[in-house]
Amino acid sequence: MLMFVIDALLQGILIGLLFALVALGLTIIFGVMDIVNFAHGEFLMLGMYAVYWTNYFLGIDPLLALPVSAILGILLGLASYYWLIRYLLRGPAIAQLFGTFGLMLFLQYLAMFLFSADYRMIDKGILVGKSYSIGPFIFDGTKLAAGLLSLLSFALVYYFLYKTKTGKALQATAINKEAATYMGIKTDRMNALAWALGGGTVGIAGGLLVNFYYTYPMVGILFVMIAFACVALGGFGSIKGVFFAGLLIGILVMIFPVFGQLIGSDFIGPHFKFTIVYLAYFIIVVVRPQGLFGWKN
Amino acid sequence: MEKLKDAFDFSDFSKAERICFYIFTVFLFVFPWLGVGSFVKTVMIQFMLFSLFGMGWNTIGGYGGQVELGKAQYVGIGAYTVALMMVWWKVPFWISMPVGVLIALGYSFIIGYPLFRLKGHYFAIATICTSLVLKDIFDNWNLVGAAKGIELPIHEHPDFLYMQFKSDTYYYYFIMALFYIAIFYMNWFRKSKLGFQLRMIKDDEDAAESLGIDIRWCKIKAYSIASAFVAVGGGFMTVYNLYIDPASVMELSLSIKIALMAMLGGAASMWGPIIGAAFLVPLDRFLGSWLGGHKGLSGIDFMIYAMLIMVVSAYQPRGIWGIIEQFRKKGK
Repeated sequence: MLMFVIDALLQGILIGLLFALVALGLTIIFGVMDIVNFAHGEFLMLGMYAVYWTNYFLGIDPLLALPVSAILGILLGLASYYWLIRYLLRGPAIAQLFGTFGLMLFLQYLAMFLFSADYRMIDKGILVGKSYSIGPFIFDGTKLAAGLLSLLSFALVYYFLYKTKTGKALQATAINKEAATYMGIKTDRMNALAWALGGGTVGIAGGLLVNFYYTYPMVGILFVMIAFACVALGGFGSIKGVFFAGLLIGILVMIFPVFGQLIGSDFIGPHFKFTIVYLAYFIIVVVRPQGLFGWKN
Repeated sequence: MEKLKDAFDFSDFSKAERICFYIFTVFLFVFPWLGVGSFVKTVMIQFMLFSLFGMGWNTIGGYGGQVELGKAQYVGIGAYTVALMMVWWKVPFWISMPVGVLIALGYSFIIGYPLFRLKGHYFAIATICTSLVLKDIFDNWNLVGAAKGIELPIHEHPDFLYMQFKSDTYYYYFIMALFYIAIFYMNWFRKSKLGFQLRMIKDDEDAAESLGIDIRWCKIKAYSIASAFVAVGGGFMTVYNLYIDPASVMELSLSIKIALMAMLGGAASMWGPIIGAAFLVPLDRFLGSWLGGHKGLSGIDFMIYAMLIMVVSAYQPRGIWGIIEQFRKKGK
């Protein structure tokens, strides 16, 4: 039984690394601009499709096709910023929420129109269907790769944000926009950069996710809710927080069905593993709105 | 008595608005006798149903300015109460519907109390979360039919106790009655103390608090009123469709539609939700049936829908009613 729990923990950490990468873009955008991007999950979905089709038509391995989804994500982020978000910023908060909601619906049904509602799964690739045993535990190759590459991408973005001049300018904008403007930082550019980063990271996450998860037009909403939970738990706008929150949520999702088995309940089972994420969001924001490491109120 | 007078008093609207309202009322009355097809009649019923939802949302979302995206859970509560009571205990609609409203009210107080500690984005996402949790529970709860849903036992044709009819005309007048009750209620609400308090809260919460308004309590009250409205609509949906499942009454897209219609028409205005529904329901249904017939074109209707939402939020967040008011100001 203990083995079950440890196995669930390890699987949870792997999927949690991916959740953290999905939520990273959301928290950057929120931190810099105070906008919640509902279309974030749809960026993920389009990233998944990008890798899927590259794999399907060109036969390129899904892991090598990652740059395609990253570039698509960056372009999507920039396009939404310049063509939609800039106009929304002039309006009230309610219009901003509905604006990104509209973008979400638009991308969903665009995908539906272009690719139909079919569930798609990648079936060829170096790691697809392979599994490795480390000690007594067995890992899917795709999930292992997704977890490790997520960690790598997260580390790169973290390095960029904390060690480079542009990254520091981005953080300055997040802390105080006006003061950043006085220091000669072009905040409009920083906003665009936040969207490019957000789109790019979530595009990579989509490219990793496609290896072991179904691709369909409505896949985004589930992951955007998970990302919201991560962002809330980590504290809106906190980079460090979202990393640990992603891990925690990943573990929660994986350990919950095991917990159901332990107490022998039919009702607590895998079909509720995402319900627990929604519930977690609700409880977190009510009990501790600033999250684990939050600094924005 | 004073309150009743307020509800029927439309004198503070402009003359043009009142004339439009009267013409519209007459039009609705004679509509089923104009020899229209049954599809058009269904669209009209849908329009009034969504106006009802939208007006309910308008209390908290429009006047209160809180982005509420979880109304579908109360549609579900209303719908499931009516359906379950009818299937289990053969309770007539006229008892089960008020019970459904009461449950919705109680539930909204319980949920509303922690919910209104939150503001802005936090609040909007939290409302989605509560709605999704309830849908997941109903999706997996075998006692209430799980994802398969519930079918209502069919009664003989004109059954006014269980509100089951073969002809859409009966349903038409039934929803029309509910629709007008809602209009009169909203007409009273916008002039009520709570209505003014909410607008104050929307403009400036700190100022409202310094004037001694209990912000949280006001919001909870408005939220409960909105929940009661949509629960009534949910009850109607049950007897109208004679079949419900979580996907049709608790889906997130329903919550979004409700909020969007009110928002597109013009939140925080009397006619906004009705205009929004009059615009979007036919667009939705006609485009859907027209494009759905062509293979490979499905989805375009929602893309048009979504583009409208983006354009309206970017250029005129106050919706169609905002545009009309802009023109009126220019005319003066």
